[in-house]
Amino acid sequence: MRRQAAIFSALLAALALPGSALAAEAPASGDTDSATVGIIGTVPAMCFGGTLTGDGTFDLGVLVDLTTGQLRTDLSAPNKLLVGSFCTSRSSITVSATPLEAQNYTAAAPNGFSRVVHYQASAAGWTALPATYNTGAASNAAATQSRSTAFTGDITVAISNFSTAGGASLRLVGDPSYRGVVTVTLAAVN
Amino acid sequence: MKCKPGLALIVLAAFPATAIAQTTETGTVAVEGQVRPVCVLGDPNPALVNLGQLSANSGPRTGRIAVIAPRTVTLPASYCNFAGSVVSVTATALTSNDTSAPQPGFARAVNYTASASNWASGTSTATTAALRDGTVPTASGFGATQPLPKIADITLTLSSFTAPGDLILVAGNYSGTVVVTLGPAAFPNEDN
Repeated sequence: MRRQAAIFSALLAALALPGSALAAEAPASGDTDSATVGIIGTVPAMCFGGTLTGDGTFDLGVLVDLTTGQLRTDLSAPNKLLVGSFCTSRSSITVSATPLEAQNYTAAAPNGFSRVVHYQASAAGWTALPATYNTGAASNAAATQSRSTAFTGDITVAISNFSTAGGASLRLVGDPSYRGVVTVTLAAVN
Repeated sequence: MKCKPGLALIVLAAFPATAIAQTTETGTVAVEGQVRPVCVLGDPNPALVNLGQLSANSGPRTGRIAVIAPRTVTLPASYCNFAGSVVSVTATALTSNDTSAPQPGFARAVNYTASASNWASGTSTATTAALRDGTVPTASGFGATQPLPKIADITLTLSSFTAPGDLILVAGNYSGTVVVTLGPAAFPNEDN
């Protein structure tokens, strides 16, 4: 009799308190709900040319051999750096330059003289081959070089291979200021 | 004949129910049902968060991650009909659609913190910590247990956007996800 009473009591409790019985169970996985929120954004292709070291000038000093009046053969200037240059995508680097020209003596140079000095400008460190541009060349196929990946680094800008326009035998007209410009361009390629 | 009165007594004793049915009486019928424990999340509004441009356009931080204002997503009228529920958050960092390994100095991931509030005390928070190559993008977290059945608008806040190492971000379209889960308190621990 005691056993039967116990069974009856359990049955009664189950019938009377179904909620309590469920609450005691571990909730099934279906009791869970999820929602997904998407997040998007863009980073555009962009390039930064970097910060130029020094005062931004290649100072070649006196251009001529004072004994001959002709262009010095040992002209040089320390390289410049474009520090922290980067492109966030594949890119191209292009170097261009204008010859050194007398800024005050603007008339045509007399026979035997020249008022223009050509040179080669190069930008290295961005691509396997440096971009080069010769101010005296008819064309400069190597002026633009391509890179297939995003990149950041320093670009070394150099000038070299100086030559007198019109021929090495010409003398340069006297002028306190010969000036040219080297331009390095980084371009993102989509 | 002496036996007849004894027989009549036996008959009466054999049909007592018939005699009772002819009187007023009350019976009890049990009625039972169930209410399953349920949690329902409201549809996220908005379901897609567009952060726009992630990198700075100019200034000293050009190319690096810009200052991105926090964004808020609401999951309205979310509820659980039982005591002991919890919100968990699984956040996946934004990564670029360009899956190639980034060059040195670059990152292709944007990390952030996803935080769900207004369910229990405190928040359910996950902060992603993807590496610069976009690996290990996912992080999870959950908050305190809600001790009562509850219905409320859950607020999901996305904030603290950063790039691994504060590196320059490679160009591309970036995407990530946040999964908000509402369920029994035991649920978040099942994966642990």
